[in-house]
Amino acid sequence: MLQTIRRALTSSAGRAFLELLLVILLGVAFNADGAFFKVGTHRDTLRQASVYGILACGMTLVMITGGIDLSVGSILAVSSVSFSILTMHMDWPWWLAIIACLFLGSALGSMSGALVSNLKLQPFIATLALMSFARGFAKLITDGKKISTYVEQGGKVIIKQLPPVFKFIDSSILGGDVSIVSVIFLVCFLAAWVFLARHKWGRELYSIGGNEEAARLSGVPVRMAKFLAYTFSGLMCAVAGIAQAAQETQGDPVTGDGYELIVISMVAIGGTSLAGGRGGMGLTLLGILTIGYLNKILSINAVPDAGRRMITGVIIVLAVLMQKRRTK
Amino acid sequence: MRSILKFALCAVLLCFLATMPIFAAGKTFVIGMSQCNLGEPWRVQMNADVKREADKHPEIKMVFKDAQNDVLTQRAQVEEFVSAKIDLLIISPKEAQPLAEPVAKAMAAGIPVIVLDRDINGENYTQFIGANNVKIGRALGAWLVKNYGGKHAKVVEIMGLQTSTPGQDRHSGFMDAIKGSDLDVIFSVDAQWLEPQARSEMESALSRFNNIDIVYGHNDPSAHGAYVAAQAVGREKSMVFVGIDSLPQEGIQYVKQGILNATFQYPTGGDVAIVQALKILAGQKVEKRIVLGSRMFTKANVDAGGVAIP
Amino acid sequence: MIQGMAALVSMNGITKFFGPVKVLDQVDFSIYPGEVHILAGENGAGKSTLIKILAGAYSDYQGRIVMEDHEIRPSSPLDANRHGIAAIHQELSLIPSMSVADNLFLGHPMTRSGFVMEKAHRQSAREVLTRAGVNVSVNTFVEDLPISVQQLIEITKAIRLNARVLIMDEPSSALNAYDVETLFALVQQLKSQNRGIVYITHRLEEIHRLADRITVLRDGKLAGTALASELPEKKLIHLMVGREMEEQFPRHTMQKSSEALRVENLSVYKAGWGHRPLVDGVSLSAGRGEILGIGGLQGSGASELFLGLFGALPKRTVGRVSIEGKPVRIRSPREAISHGVALLTNDRKATGLISPMSVTANMCAASLGKLSRYGWRRPREEERMATEMGRTLQLRASSYDMEVGDLSGGNQQKVAIGKWLSISPRIMLLDEPTRGIDVGAKQEIYQLMNELTTRGISILLVTSEMPELLAMSDRIIVMHRGIITAEFSRIEATAEKVLEAAMGKINGDVGTTRKETDAHAADN
Repeated sequence: MLQTIRRALTSSAGRAFLELLLVILLGVAFNADGAFFKVGTHRDTLRQASVYGILACGMTLVMITGGIDLSVGSILAVSSVSFSILTMHMDWPWWLAIIACLFLGSALGSMSGALVSNLKLQPFIATLALMSFARGFAKLITDGKKISTYVEQGGKVIIKQLPPVFKFIDSSILGGDVSIVSVIFLVCFLAAWVFLARHKWGRELYSIGGNEEAARLSGVPVRMAKFLAYTFSGLMCAVAGIAQAAQETQGDPVTGDGYELIVISMVAIGGTSLAGGRGGMGLTLLGILTIGYLNKILSINAVPDAGRRMITGVIIVLAVLMQKRRTK
Repeated sequence: MRSILKFALCAVLLCFLATMPIFAAGKTFVIGMSQCNLGEPWRVQMNADVKREADKHPEIKMVFKDAQNDVLTQRAQVEEFVSAKIDLLIISPKEAQPLAEPVAKAMAAGIPVIVLDRDINGENYTQFIGANNVKIGRALGAWLVKNYGGKHAKVVEIMGLQTSTPGQDRHSGFMDAIKGSDLDVIFSVDAQWLEPQARSEMESALSRFNNIDIVYGHNDPSAHGAYVAAQAVGREKSMVFVGIDSLPQEGIQYVKQGILNATFQYPTGGDVAIVQALKILAGQKVEKRIVLGSRMFTKANVDAGGVAIP
Repeated sequence: MIQGMAALVSMNGITKFFGPVKVLDQVDFSIYPGEVHILAGENGAGKSTLIKILAGAYSDYQGRIVMEDHEIRPSSPLDANRHGIAAIHQELSLIPSMSVADNLFLGHPMTRSGFVMEKAHRQSAREVLTRAGVNVSVNTFVEDLPISVQQLIEITKAIRLNARVLIMDEPSSALNAYDVETLFALVQQLKSQNRGIVYITHRLEEIHRLADRITVLRDGKLAGTALASELPEKKLIHLMVGREMEEQFPRHTMQKSSEALRVENLSVYKAGWGHRPLVDGVSLSAGRGEILGIGGLQGSGASELFLGLFGALPKRTVGRVSIEGKPVRIRSPREAISHGVALLTNDRKATGLISPMSVTANMCAASLGKLSRYGWRRPREEERMATEMGRTLQLRASSYDMEVGDLSGGNQQKVAIGKWLSISPRIMLLDEPTRGIDVGAKQEIYQLMNELTTRGISILLVTSEMPELLAMSDRIIVMHRGIITAEFSRIEATAEKVLEAAMGKINGDVGTTRKETDAHAADN
């Protein structure tokens, strides 16, 4: 038994898996009158983690290049409010609204990409700027108010029908056990995974994170690869924003505030290094589930806010310490 | 080169001067509104209420400043108002202590100050207008006891930020009101006023407890989030949902749609502030503190404008 | 100098395991005052491990270390310092963002009631550096200095600690000929102060010049210790590799061939304005299957010439390049690769390999396009290519999935070479291809270079090892401060002529055309 644990600790995946296992054991121990064992709890955990999970797909790619994307929460907000405005106020067909939002999110992500790859700004600074800009943009187009089926038209107020696409995204399938949002997350996860593991572009991203100059001198198209990573992150934010709007049945310009830190910790404790060059989607998935389950356990046990923050902080430190056990 | 610089400097100065509030002869009053942030829809509503009331009086010119939730910015903005020698200041301060001094400066400069919604330390202002969260929480609790007492109802409380006064007050008022009754609070969590958070917490409560009768959200979005969670598992019809705020596009709508059983208004007081401001500017004496009355809305009375809370 | 004195340090029966692997087996090693004791052996022989034990980096070993009649067991490098043992490793321990003066006093600052005495630092640093013959301003930040100077400062740091035993691990690897002389002078100084010097090197000329005694390790065991006079070159190499090596440089004669590469008026400028160019109007040509050697000292511009040719500095490079008669535009490494040009950089760790990635991944790094289909990678193809390449290069790695950073220097270089071979290059630019590599691997690389040229590949070879330059090149051009100062055929070239040209002598005249530009190139 000890041998298997020791062997597991030598690989990043093994360590990430162990972290998740420990959190689940915590849940078994503090199961809140058996709530932890109900199927609904696990479905909810996955649903709640899905929006963060979608963001984490883009964040992983960016972090593998050694960069970071602080703008994920803000671009999510832009997508969320845009989707709401287009479908609720401007009566656009749902598929057109989705395409428009995906385009908008990608465009914002590509702005970060251009700042990083062409103007050579540090990713922290570039995405911080986008974080502010996108948030401001979201507040601008909504005038600071939430966008909902309550619409002011010419002084009067009318209540519109909630567009069916909202209900659809926020529903579940398979007898209520799997939410559509989780399915969307799974699709994004698979897309990110297949690019990272099987496409030339993914390998280029690893090279850039591992040693950017060596990659450049080996003919890797560094600028384009990095640019695409940030654009992809923006695209993921757009998807997440649409899912968020559906779950909130509104477009809220302040939604997503602080999400970037949660997503970064999910990716980091999964084992993708902030320095770049190492990691992957499988590890991120473990990180998403670890944080997701931790939040759930704290929630069903009604742990007060202060306690939750401290416990989460401790778990993150422990997880990162475990990841540091590379013998050098 | 140097002449271009001088010209640019003059141009900048001209633009600057052009944006400053203009003094008009006669009875036009310039009222400055220092809002601590416009991120919360409730504060957007407050400014909208001020503007709506002010628009009815052509002799008032409003200047709005938004401090983006930063104490130092708000201090600076108040000082700007004082230098601009406005006629009256309405302020909704970010925090009680740091804004006391700038307000004092305004008073010393002969500018009357109305403090809205959040208090400042000391007594150095003309008037305070605000609602009482403890009273609202208590009224809400009493209403629940009156309508649902005697059945050993199980209550889930979705609280607002417990490090903020409104959150603490809405909790303490409520707990006060249900003391001695058979209402049992089985699950009490801090969702920080956020709807997605409230939904997640409610999901936890739903998976943990088979019997939930009442859900009390400290604000309407929280109550709504809880409703959505309950609806996803088909249990919403067996529960009573109540919230606080009653914004026309949120709580009122939810009551009309049958999502919330009741919502208790947390008035912004923006319109009252203008009414009082006119009195002050006309030289009348006004009360030091005005506690705003609150209303509550249920499906039955929402179209009639709700009913006032004593 | 040696007879009659007792040893400074004596290591007896040192044995060390890394897990189940025995890396040192009953090794004896001693250092006397005033001697330079060369520690020689192939990579993996155990030299680094032995000196790390002496320097306090490893405390888990069997055997004894005796210093002045009592046994010591250094528990850390700082502890070793206290015993009077200082080590200068290949990886420099300087802090790039701090000044020279601050670095010299790193860890041992002069203080007065807690405050660091900056002025005294600078004064003392100036003295120490001048005495060592190192010519730098003490306020310069280390990161602004060339690697060679950094290494000299590293050595000066150890001297300052008043160490009685100095351990130098390949100290001249990043130094040019001029700085190497400074280094040797320093070593002589230290000898005259009766310090003991342990010196690890692969360079035979150094062993000739410096050694008093030589110890050879082979596969973790002591192969032999003798006075330098008793170990002529052939015998020494025999001890190191366990076999006789007659011809060190197997270059065969080359036939005349068509032109493969022509460079006309290539210049590479420094970033910013008003500086003298790093490469100034260089023209050259190389034939198919020819090895064109490029000699030069630090600052000659040879490496920058390669970078410019390769398209790595597109905004700072001008000039015309033709490949096999056709003019080409190379504005990026990608374009260079598409034209069949490869660049093996002089610093594999920094610019050649991607340490966290596997051997296979590194081998494929330049030819990802070729190995994928519509952008989708084919892992089996990649593995196949890597295994084949590894076989050709006689790569020794326990698994091709291991991180390339864990391989030995020689094998790392082979991976880098393999990466470039996989693009089927027509022209290879090799910048110090055998730096930091053991004798056996060097031989393999020379054989490889021969074989590549028989296939028609042209090689441009920049190397600071004179014997290598003289023996492997078909033709030699020498660069000095951005211009070509001389060109020799294989037969004409001698070490003296090359060194002269490298130091500025232009085919007979001593740099006359450069006098004016020299006057306002003082900012260099």
